[in-house]
Formats: sequence, C-alpha cells, structure tokens
Amino acid sequence: MTNLKKWLPGIWFMDPPKDISLDGYRIDNVIQYTDFVITLYFGIVVAALAFFVWKYNSRKHPKAAYEHGDKKKHLIMTVVMGMVVFLSIDVVIETMSFRDLKEAFWNFPKGKDVLRIEAMPMQYAWNFRYAGEDEEFGTDDDVVPPQNILNIPVNTPVVVQLTTYDVIHSFYLPNFRIKQDATPGMVTAIWFQATETGEYEIACAELCGNGHFKMKGYLKVQSKEDFYTWLSEQEPEVTEDDWDDWGDDEDEGVPTKWGWPWKEVK
Amino acid sequence: MSEHQSVWRKYIFSLDHKMIGKQYLFLGIFFLLFGGFQALLIRWQLAYPEQPVPWWLLGFLFKGSGGIIDPDMYNQLFTMHGTIMIFWAITPILIGAFGNYVIPLQIGARDMAFPTLNMLSFWTMFLASIVLLASYFLPDGTAAGGWTSYPPLSLEEGGIPGHGQTYWTLALTLAGTSTMMGAINYVITVIRMRAPGMTYFKMPLSVWGLWLTSILNAIFVPVIAAGLIMLLLDRLLGTQFFLAGRLAAGGGGDPLLYQHVFWIFGHPEVYILILPVWGIVSELLSVFSRKPAFGYKVTAICMCTIVVLSSIVWGHHMYTTGMSPLLGKSFMFLTLLISIPSSIFFFNWLLTLWKGSLHFKTPMLYTMAVIWVFAIGGLTGLYNATVTADIYLHDTMFVVGHFHYTMAASVLFGGYAAISYWYPKMFGRMMNPLMNRIHFWGTFISLNLVFFNMMVLGYAGHHRRIYNPAEYDFIKPLMGLNEFITYAAIVLGAFQFIYLFNFTWSMFKGPIAEKNPWKSNTLEWTVDYPVPHGNFAEIPQVYNGPNEYSNPKVKGQDWVPQSVQIESAG
Repeated sequence: MTNLKKWLPGIWFMDPPKDISLDGYRIDNVIQYTDFVITLYFGIVVAALAFFVWKYNSRKHPKAAYEHGDKKKHLIMTVVMGMVVFLSIDVVIETMSFRDLKEAFWNFPKGKDVLRIEAMPMQYAWNFRYAGEDEEFGTDDDVVPPQNILNIPVNTPVVVQLTTYDVIHSFYLPNFRIKQDATPGMVTAIWFQATETGEYEIACAELCGNGHFKMKGYLKVQSKEDFYTWLSEQEPEVTEDDWDDWGDDEDEGVPTKWGWPWKEVK
Repeated sequence: MSEHQSVWRKYIFSLDHKMIGKQYLFLGIFFLLFGGFQALLIRWQLAYPEQPVPWWLLGFLFKGSGGIIDPDMYNQLFTMHGTIMIFWAITPILIGAFGNYVIPLQIGARDMAFPTLNMLSFWTMFLASIVLLASYFLPDGTAAGGWTSYPPLSLEEGGIPGHGQTYWTLALTLAGTSTMMGAINYVITVIRMRAPGMTYFKMPLSVWGLWLTSILNAIFVPVIAAGLIMLLLDRLLGTQFFLAGRLAAGGGGDPLLYQHVFWIFGHPEVYILILPVWGIVSELLSVFSRKPAFGYKVTAICMCTIVVLSSIVWGHHMYTTGMSPLLGKSFMFLTLLISIPSSIFFFNWLLTLWKGSLHFKTPMLYTMAVIWVFAIGGLTGLYNATVTADIYLHDTMFVVGHFHYTMAASVLFGGYAAISYWYPKMFGRMMNPLMNRIHFWGTFISLNLVFFNMMVLGYAGHHRRIYNPAEYDFIKPLMGLNEFITYAAIVLGAFQFIYLFNFTWSMFKGPIAEKNPWKSNTLEWTVDYPVPHGNFAEIPQVYNGPNEYSNPKVKGQDWVPQSVQIESAG
C-alpha cells in the first residue's frame, strides 16, 4: 500500500497532513463538497463529449443539423443551466464558507483562557513573543523563547498577531489548514486551537528570498500543565539589542525589541 | 502596395500584418522552448534536490555551482519561467501572432488600422526580449522575486543582490508598451476596418475573443505599467512607494498597494490569455462539426460578461493578506459569479457538437482537448475562489496546478489548434497529420499527469516556490509523486519536439495546401496563398454569418463563404 501511495498519481491516494485542529474539518468539508460537485460536472462534460464523439462522428453522421441554437427554448435551457450551476455549486460553497468564517476563522476568541502570541518572521527564521506576567506586550517581562519553536497548550484558543520588518512572509500551519501573511507596516492576526499534543511543522508560504525553503519552524503542542510550567521557566527577554542597529548585520541574531501593544479586534 | 519591396521591408521591418504575425509567432516559439527548458530544470530540482543536473538538461550551465542548481538559481528559474511563459510565449503567440494574422483577414480588412504602429509594437517587444535575455548575463543573475515580484522582496532592501530585478522591471514595462500598441491597433481595427456587411454579430467568434482580449489589454496594461514604474522608482531613485517596516526610512509606503495594483491587472491578464483561446475554440468547433456555433450571440455576450467581471475579482488573490471580511466575502461572491457565464458557453460548446458531423482533423483534436483541460482548470478555480478553502490552498502547488490547467494547458492546446488550423494559409502547405496525432496524444496524456498531480501535491499541503521540498517532514512522503511528475514533464517536453519538427519540416516539404482545406466560411479562406500585402484584390461584401455550415439553402456543399450570397429559397 505504501508503494501504491508513492507511485499511483491521483487525489485519492494523497491525504492532507493530519488535522489536529478544532476547525480544520470545516476546510476539509468545503473542499470535499467541491471535490464531489466538480467531479460530477466534469463527469457530465466528459460523458457528453464522449457520447457526441461516438454518435456524431462524420462517418456515422455525415449530415449535420442546421441549428443555430438561437430559439427561445434554447435561451431558456441556457438560463436554467446557468442557474442550476449557480445554485448547486456557488450558493452551497458560499454558504458553507461564510458560515465557517463567521463561526470560526474570522470569529476571534476573547476571554481569559485565550493565549495571545506575537510573531515576527524574518529572513529566515520565526520569532515568537509571550506577554509575560503583566499581560502587556512590549514590556520588560515579555517572554521571547529561542527562535523557530512555537509552544502552545492543547485545547486552548491561540491568537497570533504578526508583522515583519523585512519582506512579506506567510505563517502556514499545514496541520491546521491555515495560513496568514505577515507584511511590513501592518499587523495581521490569525487564531487556531490544537486538539492533540505533539510536534508539528510551521512553514513560510510566501517567497521571501533564497532561504525561503528552509524557513521552517516547529509548533510544540503540550498539555496545559506542561505548557505553563515551561512558560514559567522562561527568562524574561533581555533588552540589550538596539533598535536602530538591527538589520545591518546578519549575525546579530534575534532582535528583541520588536513587540507592539496588542491590537484588539473589534 | 508595391510588388518590389526590399528584403528589409518585406521580412524585417515589414508593415504587413501577416509578416508581423509570423515574426511574433517565431519569437513566441523561441521563448516557449526557453521557458519550457527552465520548467524542466525546476522539475529536476524538485524531484532530485541538489543533485547534479544531467547533461541532457544542459548540466554544463551549472558548472559554477558544482553541477547543481543553487537556491538563487532556482528562484531565478521559476521567476523567469513564469514571466517568459506569460509575457514572452503565450502573449506573442496567441495575441501577437494570431491577433495580427487573423483579425484583418477575418474581418475583411486590407491591414491593421495603423501598420507602422504594428511594426513598432513588434520591435518594442524585440527590444524587451533583449533586455530580458541580457539580465541572465548580469554578475548576480536575473530576477528572483517570483513572476509577481512582490515588494519589499523585489526592492533593493529585500536582499536579492544585483540588478536582475531592475532589468526584469524594465523588460516588462517595454513588453507592456508593446502590448498596448498592439491592443489599441486591434481594437480600432475591429471597430473601424470591418468589411461592408460585417456587423459585430457576423464576426467570427475568434475575432470576438481577440478583440475582447485587446480591450482588456488596453485598459489594464497601463495599470501594471504604473505599478512597474513605481517599482522602478523605488529601486533606482530611492522613493518608497512599496517599502515599509524597519527597512524604510521615515513612514514608508505600503507593500500591499503593489499587490492590489498587480492583481487589478493580474486577474484580467488571466482572461487576456484565455479569451483568444475561447474564441478560437468556439469558431473551430463549428467548422469541424459542420454546424453553426450553438447560441453564437449568447457565447459572445457571455465572453463580454466575463470581461466585465474579470476586472472586479482581483481580491481573491489576496485572501491571506488580512483583508477586511467584508472585502473577502464580496470578492468571493463576485468571483463565483463568473461560473454562470462560463458554464453557459461551455454548454454552448458541447451543444455545437450535438447533431453535428464531427471531423476529427488535428485542429479539432486540439480544440476538444481545450474543452477537457479548461473544464478541469475552470472547475478547480472554485477552491481558490472560496475564502476558507483558499486559506489552506493559497500558495501551494494546488494553485500551480490550477493555473497551469487554465493558462498553460488550455493555451497550449488552443495555440496548437490555431497553428494547425491556419498553417495552410500562413505557409501554403499542410502539416503532417500523423505527426500531429502522435504529438496530440503524447501531450494530452503527459500534460494531465503533470498538472493534475501538481494539484494533488498542493492538496497534500506542498507549498510552492521551495527549493528543496524534502526539508519538510510533511512533504517527504510526497517526494515519490514529485519524481513521477518530473518524468511526466520530461515526456511532455520530448513530445513537443515532434510538433516543432513537423512545424519546420512541413514548411518546406509538406503537401501544397488547397485554398480552403478545411472548407471554412470565413474570409481568410477566400484568398489564394501567398496572400498579398493588402490581402484582398477587392474588399469583399459580407452577406452571411461566419457559421453557415450545412445550410439547407446551399446546394451541393455544406459551407458557404461569408462573402457569397445565399440564394433565397423558392
């Protein structure tokens, strides 16, 4: 079976990465409905094509009908066809998609149990920042762990705000079916909730230079207990890096003074 | 219209739309091969990352980096593959070559409205090509910011060394200028130069497609030109239209502005590339079914509707930029609306075959392949139009597979259909049908294996533009499929040489073509080869629509030229 998976092309042999998120199933569902409905319509097109090729081959059918297809009944047929497509495809996936956006992807969680994280991708690494005890970002007790590892607790909504100071990057979590661009000059946000512990990959999905392909991070999902133990063991950031110097020298490492006051979503 | 023209006037600085069309065709084919070669190098790297390029993919070119493609070169390869295929291969072949060759002949005009502008348009394109090719010889290589060249990456501050990006911007601005000159010419030619009796709804659908394409070009190429000039100013004069963040001195500009400008042009561009194919397919289906195009007017109106819609859907390229929910929803709704006119003319294409008498000549095979690949390409667009599905699929190989179906596959088959169909009129000889059939089946099968499996990769999470996919654990299981795609791509590439050989060989050795080998109605088939400069001895009077096939009032044959009056029954 593994060999089959390796060599037989076709969508039926390739699964998306394991879904470990609260809402990833919504995206899988809308994709599956689209799979189904477009396979159906493609099947109709191919069946019609095959049938006409067989039936109206010039050898079998030397005399074509003189038919412009411009009568009223043809126009009605055409309009009905367009409406059927619109109702069966567009209306359904639009309803599904709008519902999911409203209920999940654009419905940012609020409240005490939400974990807030600021992310600052750079060429070619991921930096993450936690608010620390005062629950304010950009203060001296912020926690900035080593690069490229994002620690989160399981079964907890996590909101990540992103910006970057060099070029555009995109925060991509294949196991959660989501991505969000980080663009210089603006703060963007995304939220997700893990349902299983483990280590998963973070990729940069937007071309950001010749190191783009190895701009990889890890998402470490721990139990709530383990996570908060880990967080309490982290030293607050050391703010010795000078804002103005950063960017001149590639070897400077993590710029530490990059937090911003949390932007509340309306 | 002097008979004694110098070689320069006749072959190089020609004012004859037919010669300019051929010049575009040869330019386009050259770049098609060049862009295709780069595609194979990309495929090599994706299947065998960091392994030496074999000799048959010209491995000696990579001597400087130990025979392997390095990350910089890889980024340059996919940047230039996209740029070249879109602006230097598809545009010259479909719009430059067939727009030029077909429009005046099919509407019964002696030439383009502005022959000198037409010549200048080609030579501006030629200049753009030189700038583009020169960029490969720069010390740091050519552009590497992707064909979209999003700033700040495409700015000096983005960290890509050298002047490749500057040359790229300059070359693209020149190519845009050339396209503009052509577009204005085509639009005005269709409006002003139609033969008497050639009303808009008597124009062949191929002219409709090319005309609508030119209208879109005339409107939207200036938009990208503005964006490119701002990019050039940012790069050369230190302005900061698109620079923000820490690299910007002072307040800075907005990188998102570029994305909006790019896609306001970029989405219509997709339709710019495909509309000529839609037109050609609609026309050829009718010719080879010996039956009028089903719902001719509706098809033409649907194409117009799509032209309008195409200009207000660009936001679906930007769902993950953090756009406002209201905009995201509106763009999704507008994008999905395109499915209505698209499904209607698809329906009309199929019903043109219904009760026809189908002749499977090679142009017809290529035309039917367009129906197949464009059905896949169009339908898979639904995923990308859906905000939620696109959050996952954006920037993955799924998108790559999808747009190769709509642009590469449909446009290739449309181009092959057009070349095979008009070859007898362009070169006076017939192409070898057996070679074309072999080429057709080889291309059809391998092309589907390549592009369909790209979508499979993307569905499995494989993101695009990565030098070495095996860096990621979740992509490692997909490397077998990556290899498979590469084999299929090599087969696809190999089959193209059959067409190239046939194309060249038939020019000298093919059987001499009759005046009207396909028994078509349109005006280009009423003139003898070689068509003289000025086309028609006398401007024809048009009586019929373009698709009067199997008209029962016509006795003895199932076709009637547009310029021959059908005897009224009785």
